[in-house]
Amino acid sequence: MGWLSGTTVAMVLFAVGTTVLIVRKDLVIKLLALGLVNSSGILFLISIRFQPQMEAPILPAKVGSAIADPFPQALVLSAIVINFAILALSLVFVMLLVERYHSTDCERIEHAVETEKAMLGRRDRTVNPSEGDTREETR
Amino acid sequence: MILPLFPLSHIFLGLAAIAWRASARATLIIGLIVDIALVAIAFSPAAHCLSSTVAGGWTDVIGIRLALDSLALDLLLLTVLLELAVIIYLWRQRLRPSFVILLQFLVGAVMALVLSQDLFNVYVILELLTLVSFLLVAYDRRTIQIWASLKYLILASVGMSIFLLGVAVTYANVGSLGLAAIQQAVAANPQAGWIPLAAALLVAGVSVKAGILTFSLWLPDAHSAAPAAISAFLSGLVIKMGIVVLIRLAGVFPLALVLQILGAITGIGGAIYAMSSTDLKRMLAFHTLSQIGYLLIGMGVANETAARGVLAYALAHGSFKALLFLAAGAAYDAVGSTEIAELISSRHRIPLRTRAALLLGTLAIVGLPPFDGYIAKAPLLDAAHGWTNQILLLLLGIGTAASFAKLLPLFKGPYRRVGNDPVWESYVVLALPIVLFLPIERALFGPAIILPAMNWVIALESIAVVATGWLMHRVYRRLSVRPSESLFRLEPGMFAILLGFVAIYLLLRLG
Repeated sequence: MGWLSGTTVAMVLFAVGTTVLIVRKDLVIKLLALGLVNSSGILFLISIRFQPQMEAPILPAKVGSAIADPFPQALVLSAIVINFAILALSLVFVMLLVERYHSTDCERIEHAVETEKAMLGRRDRTVNPSEGDTREETR
Repeated sequence: MILPLFPLSHIFLGLAAIAWRASARATLIIGLIVDIALVAIAFSPAAHCLSSTVAGGWTDVIGIRLALDSLALDLLLLTVLLELAVIIYLWRQRLRPSFVILLQFLVGAVMALVLSQDLFNVYVILELLTLVSFLLVAYDRRTIQIWASLKYLILASVGMSIFLLGVAVTYANVGSLGLAAIQQAVAANPQAGWIPLAAALLVAGVSVKAGILTFSLWLPDAHSAAPAAISAFLSGLVIKMGIVVLIRLAGVFPLALVLQILGAITGIGGAIYAMSSTDLKRMLAFHTLSQIGYLLIGMGVANETAARGVLAYALAHGSFKALLFLAAGAAYDAVGSTEIAELISSRHRIPLRTRAALLLGTLAIVGLPPFDGYIAKAPLLDAAHGWTNQILLLLLGIGTAASFAKLLPLFKGPYRRVGNDPVWESYVVLALPIVLFLPIERALFGPAIILPAMNWVIALESIAVVATGWLMHRVYRRLSVRPSESLFRLEPGMFAILLGFVAIYLLLRLG
């Protein structure tokens, strides 16, 4: 089982995550896949300087034993927090989209947004901008 | 120890705006004054003693080095310029405190990135920029904005994961993430097997943020959907942050060929889409891509003049692109649409100063002398050796002129005064560097840089390029061939990132 290390698992996770991101149309599943991709980066970072015999870099370590490099483990904390923030924020935005379109299907939303964009161009041309413009009140 | 103050002052001001929400606007002014003071110190002769420092007094191996080099100075100047213009633009509007807070964080993150010399620090700040611009693009909560910025977040997050993999590969082989240490390791053993992999991962990851085709397929939607002031910031400044990282990476890894190829694809692709685009803001967003192409080709040329030319062009592009986006926003407020046909037919409703600003921005971006677009492009044209580069730059110039020729009817009469233009002061702020670029460039990059702009061959060449572009516009508008816009959906964008990474890797491995 020498091939089964953190780095190989991370690469498999990355491949699975990106494939799901491309293939599946559901936004929530896409975000799950995004979480997978981000986690694969984290797993890769902590496992690059680690071998199975190594101790965790916490004092007191056994004398004479090899200790895993603590630097990537310190770095990875920021990456975890960032990925949490990204997932949380994107879920909020998916909620906003679901509220308006009652669907998490990517293609449907894309289609609806594109027609809305086309409609907006036409409506703005006919309606007086001071009435049709909603920008002022939202600012 | 003054360098950390650049970003930290904005983070603290942002926090202060959270605590005292009523006086959030005041923090914008304080931040601006602090920035102007800090940049003045940075440009003063005493600055060389504070040019480089490791934050927090750590050792160089694990610490984060901040350095004030010419690239950082150039972009700090651009940041302050755009900050001033955008604050003036926004001043008469009712600003929500959360908007001010996000704006402070955006400026702080930009300043942190241009000073940073540490790869993991760069990763964290790029992610911060992603999050803040994600929220700002969708600030008005229109559905178009929400979808554009969600797409941006997903693609940018995947890109940053790829960047993180590159950081990990680099750390595994170098044992430090400081750029100086990486450079030494690469120079000591340039044939090492990890170098193509690490460089491809890092370049592919950051290209997603840098507005490079085919990595940044989110850009046209996000930059055209955002509120005008935010578009100006994103297109003028935030997109350059990816370029800053690429310039730093190009100093470490052998990337010249990759950058040239990416520049050719980005520039030509952006110009083709811009020519067929009928919406003003969308066209400007595509031109962000085409002008990034200029920067990449200049970086790929990799000699002294070209490197300075890239810095000068980054500054010039920031000023005129921000001017165009702000004026497009004011035109939208007057007409209620950014469709070019609609703007032309109701041009009498657009305030005169806004039309003048659009005209000035157009003249600058197509590269007509004596404006800053020409003055900054001249060193690039002069330094680009070999016929491929020359032809590429000429094609790019023709494409730019051809797409902006669509705007020409906008500047025809009648010239009646309509209302008063509330944001004209911000145009003045941005117009000053556009008109007075020669002395600014001379002061920043030395007297040698302005010589190409004085060369009458290059001047005539630029005018000929603009004329050819105008002719091409006359021909092109009779054709009905338009490139497909479905490329800018989520799945093609995702696929293009992976494909682009493989292409860069193969290029570095074999070339």
